Amino acid sequence: MAEATVKKEGIVAQVKEFITTIPVNKIGIKDIFNYPKTPVNNLIALLIVLFLAMFAIGVGNYLIHGHHAYGVTRQHPWGLLIAVYIFFVVSSTGLCIVGSLGDVFGFKDYEMISKRAIFGSIVTIMAGFAVIAFEIGHPITMLIYNVLTPGLRSAIWWMGTLYGLYLTFMIIEFVFLLKHDMKSAKIFGLAGLLIGLAAHSNLGGVFGFLNTRLISNGVFYPTYFILTAFITGIYLAFIMMGFRYKLNFPENAKKMLVNLAKIQGLLLAILMFFETWKMLTGVYGGMPGRADVVEHILTTPPFWVEVIAGMLIPFIIIISSKGNNIKGLFWGSFIGMVGIFFMRYDLVHDTQLKPLQMMKITEYQLPPKWVEYFPSASEIMISLGGLGLCLLLYYVGTKLFNLDADEAH
Amino acid sequence: MARYGMALDYKNCINCKACEVACKEENGVLLGADKHRIWVGANNPDGVWPNLDIASAAFMPSQCQHCEEAPCEEVCPTHATYYDENGVVRVDSDKCILCSYCMNACPYDARYVDDRTVTVDKCTFCSDTRLARGETTTACQNTCPTKVRTFGDLDDPESEISILLKTRDHFSLKAHLGTKPKLFYLT
Ligand code: SF4
Ligand code: SF4
Repeated sequence: MAEATVKKEGIVAQVKEFITTIPVNKIGIKDIFNYPKTPVNNLIALLIVLFLAMFAIGVGNYLIHGHHAYGVTRQHPWGLLIAVYIFFVVSSTGLCIVGSLGDVFGFKDYEMISKRAIFGSIVTIMAGFAVIAFEIGHPITMLIYNVLTPGLRSAIWWMGTLYGLYLTFMIIEFVFLLKHDMKSAKIFGLAGLLIGLAAHSNLGGVFGFLNTRLISNGVFYPTYFILTAFITGIYLAFIMMGFRYKLNFPENAKKMLVNLAKIQGLLLAILMFFETWKMLTGVYGGMPGRADVVEHILTTPPFWVEVIAGMLIPFIIIISSKGNNIKGLFWGSFIGMVGIFFMRYDLVHDTQLKPLQMMKITEYQLPPKWVEYFPSASEIMISLGGLGLCLLLYYVGTKLFNLDADEAH
Repeated sequence: MARYGMALDYKNCINCKACEVACKEENGVLLGADKHRIWVGANNPDGVWPNLDIASAAFMPSQCQHCEEAPCEEVCPTHATYYDENGVVRVDSDKCILCSYCMNACPYDARYVDDRTVTVDKCTFCSDTRLARGETTTACQNTCPTKVRTFGDLDDPESEISILLKTRDHFSLKAHLGTKPKLFYLT
């Protein structure tokens, strides 16, 4: 008995020691406001404050009016917040992949971004959770009944559960990275990566399993989600590194970014190839419920923003310089991220485009051709709030932790 | 232990909407929740003038199909949607997290959000109301002036609905999806 107590105390002490030895910079509130007061930094700081205020207003409105504060309807129950959630978790998975190149797969050139990317993957998924908490009607009930009565055939169950695990592993990996324990970081990193990929393809499965939505049903989304996650991760890697070095990249960063740009070129080419075939097989044969939806999508502006901003412009920047124009791709990555956002929005909206029950009409009334949706102000405010939260957490992280690679280990 | 279903002699429907009213009254559907729980749709005649297919211009009452292979049950992450002992697809509002996955997965647009419980609801074949009181009919069936609706136990070979389905041709909506609906349209 006494022995057990001693042992228990030993473990507690060990855990305590483990936590207290995590290298964290001691900072106060004052340090948070202590940044180089350049116009760009001031603007970003202002935007963060503005976005967080919007978050509060949007959430307040939601708490009072429920889903009536949103533009979602019975026929279009998933709206902007689902798209933004997907946007954040795709970013997270992507950063996890980029971060893993160095510390899990051991490619030395990429080690310099590992810690930063893993930290980025933690903040982006947290922002995603913050947003989805106000779209799911009863998040607390979800935590309880996900455990008590798990719906094992539900892609949402798997996605939620795996993402929870993923976040845990990412945090543990990050702590080991901070402590220079590369071996443990590698183990948790690999576990986190595998769980993250499983979670992410399950998110694609949420759409792929919808037998009645011909445009989304099938293998496309679960695989496409992984591909686009990698692409998103590389865009974000450029943005983070660009800010880190204020575009004056040292040699090793240059080398890594040129390599990443080349990989990005290949990935974008594959993505465009996939998209083309998805659209071609979609229209072929004129199958109702699929071909008409594809034809409609091809006439909508958000789809072309997705293609031009998310794929074409960055692809042209890469191809025209054989991947060497990394400053150009830094700017191209912002454009790319706008495209990626529309990609998420489109996939959520397009899934629900086709009205399912054509008979809910009265005499002499024409059936609706498409289900309409436009996000409400509250939805937009909460979404921007998610972005603000993400930027704030990342900024605080850069103050708290040393996110650069450690010199020697 | 029954396996409840409903046969609809839909060509007899005169679009009086008494069933919609009775359902709202019986199950306390909120005002303004039009065409939410059950509804009567109007099919415009197929074809181009003057070759209009008059027979296709029928009224089609519809509601949750109580699928035997229900997509809504399959996708529910917390088992809030379940089959009760009578094969009726039900929602346990204590467990529903309002993720709306079922609303997207249901091929028949049969689900809606109830503003009082803030969870998903739909036709329950009056399981909470009439059947719970020991009655054997649904409100919509009971009120229909032209006897469009026949509700009953599909497992009982002597039930009115079983006899109807044995003797009359019938079809189900979107049967190709493999959802095995228990709403049968008599032709
Ligand atoms: S009709 Fe829709 S709500 Fe009813 S059981 Fe089938 S899938 Fe579920
Ligand atoms: S909205 Fe409720 S009933 Fe529908 S799938 Fe989600 S938890 Fe289940």
